[in-house]
Amino acid sequence: MEDSSSSMGQNGGQMGSQAASSSNNKQNEDSQQKDYSVPGILHFIQHEWARFELERSQWEVDRAELQARIAFLQGERKGQENLKNDLVRRIKMLEYALKQERAKFHKHKYGTELQQGDMNPPVMDDSGESQLDPDQSYLPVGNSTWKDGRKLLRQYLQEIGYTDRIIDVRSTRVRALLGLNNNHPDQEESYNGGPVNGNESIKRVSETQGRRTPAKKPQPGSLSEAMMLDTEAAVMANLDFLSNTDVDMDDDEDMSDDGEMDHSVEMEDEVKPNKKEGEDVDALALEVFNELNRLSEVEKKPETKNAAGPPDWDKTQVPKRPIGISDEDNIDAALGLGELAQLTVNNDAESTYDIASSKEAFRKTWNAKYTLRSHFDGVRALGFHPTEPVLITASEDHTLKLWNLQKTVPAKKSASLDVEPLYTFRMHSGPVLSLAISGTGEHCYSGGLDGLINCWNIPNSNIDPYDLFEPDVLNTTLHGHSDAVWGLSVLNSKQQLVSCSSDGTVKLWSPHSKVQLLNTFTSEQDGIPSSVDFIRDEPNKVVASFASSHCVIFDTETGKPVLRLESTSQDSVNLSAKKIYKIVCHPTLSLTITAHEDRHIRFWDNHTGKMVHSMVAHLDAVTSLAVDPNGLYLLSGSHDCSIRLWHLDNKTCVQEITAHRKKFDESILDVAFHPSRPYIASAGADALAKVFV
Amino acid sequence: MKMAEGATILRRNRPGTKAKDFCRWPDEPFEEMDSTLAVQQYIQQLIRRDPSNIDLILRIPDSHDEGVWKYEHLRQFCMELNGLAVRLQGECHPETCTQMTATEQWIFLCAAHKTPKECPAIDYTRHTLDGAACLLNSNKYFPSRVSIKESSVAKLGSVCRRVYRIFSHAYFHHRQIFDEFETETCLCKRFTHFVTKYNLMSKDNLIVPILEEDSASGESEA
Repeated sequence: MEDSSSSMGQNGGQMGSQAASSSNNKQNEDSQQKDYSVPGILHFIQHEWARFELERSQWEVDRAELQARIAFLQGERKGQENLKNDLVRRIKMLEYALKQERAKFHKHKYGTELQQGDMNPPVMDDSGESQLDPDQSYLPVGNSTWKDGRKLLRQYLQEIGYTDRIIDVRSTRVRALLGLNNNHPDQEESYNGGPVNGNESIKRVSETQGRRTPAKKPQPGSLSEAMMLDTEAAVMANLDFLSNTDVDMDDDEDMSDDGEMDHSVEMEDEVKPNKKEGEDVDALALEVFNELNRLSEVEKKPETKNAAGPPDWDKTQVPKRPIGISDEDNIDAALGLGELAQLTVNNDAESTYDIASSKEAFRKTWNAKYTLRSHFDGVRALGFHPTEPVLITASEDHTLKLWNLQKTVPAKKSASLDVEPLYTFRMHSGPVLSLAISGTGEHCYSGGLDGLINCWNIPNSNIDPYDLFEPDVLNTTLHGHSDAVWGLSVLNSKQQLVSCSSDGTVKLWSPHSKVQLLNTFTSEQDGIPSSVDFIRDEPNKVVASFASSHCVIFDTETGKPVLRLESTSQDSVNLSAKKIYKIVCHPTLSLTITAHEDRHIRFWDNHTGKMVHSMVAHLDAVTSLAVDPNGLYLLSGSHDCSIRLWHLDNKTCVQEITAHRKKFDESILDVAFHPSRPYIASAGADALAKVFV
Repeated sequence: MKMAEGATILRRNRPGTKAKDFCRWPDEPFEEMDSTLAVQQYIQQLIRRDPSNIDLILRIPDSHDEGVWKYEHLRQFCMELNGLAVRLQGECHPETCTQMTATEQWIFLCAAHKTPKECPAIDYTRHTLDGAACLLNSNKYFPSRVSIKESSVAKLGSVCRRVYRIFSHAYFHHRQIFDEFETETCLCKRFTHFVTKYNLMSKDNLIVPILEEDSASGESEA
């Protein structure tokens, strides 16, 4: 009623009060109260009404905006709760892992169980649920319940032009939630420099697994940051209503990806950091999807793995190696499942293993800890630094690499590597076959298929892997052999080196003096030497094994053979089948140990030349031997893919670990003890080296 | 020496093996290789038999996974490039080759650092090979050598592009080394065929005129 009359009046008023309105306007302020003309009133009412209408519509708009905002925030909150639950769950898992590690460490160190409050797995009773829950809830919720709401919301947001800000809001929220203030440079740095994903940090935790917790400090930062990236990617992937704007973002990153780069290579490299980031985000998104699958697989996979088992390993199942099996399989499973799986699965394994081993009488059991991957072909030899947790590997890919086990290098390309090599020694023009490290840790010597022995100054174990080239890392090269150098050994007290080559000679060197070649030994009747070592308790003697399957002890001063180590006639039925792969001398006793193709390890008395013990040690050729620095244990490696630890007193096998895979018919090529720290290592034809602690 | 008891052939390099006998054992058919490293074994076996028979070396066995095939080939390339790097070390010094260049057109920046640097050519070479070794052995991108994710296969292209610059630098600045190495290994030719066959690099970037030479059947004359 009001409306119609006023609208009528409006027309009339406008027509009729044309003149009056002009005067009205002039004296509007002061004369308004006096001039109550009908057209004036009508006009006023109409004016007011229009004003209210306008305001109302504005409120309407505001309200819609706010409602959209509320809906968005609610959705976001829900998402964040899920994120938080997920993170809490992970933190619990990590805490639990840390506790397990500490307990283990404590037990190893003090031999007693460590009491540290609740050692129960944090969420074990409902772990299955809690592992799956948070992640699952992304999908159903994201896909069904909220879908309509989001569609609507997206329309709202796009109308308002809100989209750009939301991205910022969203990411800052996620960051705020995690207590991080990080902006793009940080992200970039974390990719290029700092460790990116959880596995890396976990390694660090377990390294500093003592009772102190300072190691925790750096860890949460990087870990949660990585997780933040993960989860952010998850949010990105799941909240598909943002896809439009995401495309904008991705475009920025894609810009720097291949397409453009191929135009101009110069430019490509300049924008490389961006590119990597782009790649990484993509990878992360993918990873998160995978992770969802993995999480559900984690529970099942280990069992199936254990049951099926890679065919190579099945046949090597021998008593006394429960630890070896479970651990190895787990690692394999973990390799397939990625770092997250490794995290959970390994802990499970360790907890069960702890219980088992506490009942075992063994003093110490070794577990695979580091896998050194960076060689392209079989690792022929390895050796430890005398004091530091550093080792050097020599490979058929023509290089040697230096690794620092305590320095997990800022992972450039991938963070799930345990250790990255610090330095690559390049000078051999063929496979590197043998390696020896001096007792001072200053030099190492490598012998190659090219017949050269290179003497290297070992670079500092804290160098930047991408430093400038220092030509003086190569100290000197020993020329003299005309064929492949298969064996090297160092005598620290005299700074001497002994080498054997397929040219049929054994040579004694003094690498750092003027006259390098001191003496040459041969044994015409025995042919080509295969391995060589100094006799430790008589430093003027070396012992070499030959193609004839006999060993000869030479006097280094006279150069003459002193004694032959020959097996008795009834034992020497088929000499070619007994070929010796490796010869080592006991550090304190007058004992020489040989590894044979016929699966035997044989022990010899250096004074009498008689064989004192012989045993079948492996299922295939024994390829490598190492005696621990105290002379109590012997480590052997074999082409049957396993390494075995032997008690030298009673010659019993203490532990067996399946360590490497086969390439052609070769598997394990070398083993080593650390001279002063509890590390052992194995080198394999599968291009890997493994370190056990 | 190579033959153990009976008819079984054990393909092993025992200590004492002479350099000329290294890995010289009867070929094993690809179908009979049951190892996880079968593809690497097979590729190396072909190369050892005749490094110049590029077509055969690059011919993928029937119904084999192409990602793994490309990956293993690239590993082999990076490994053999060590040989070129060793030769370059003797001649390519930071004082003479202060930058990684091929033609005058571009200076390549070394991507191994947080901010790409103008590394001297020899460092660029070393860093690129080291970086490739890390990437190709990365547990994250290449956890298995039996099957490879599609997203990781995509990374092979950028590795190819970077390591190719080692060839191009050697070709344009250390021609004698390049020619000696190429005569011995045919590596650049194989690499060029490889990236062309699997479309891992654009033709514009293949600046070493090795395929043209091929048709002109001259190795050392450009």
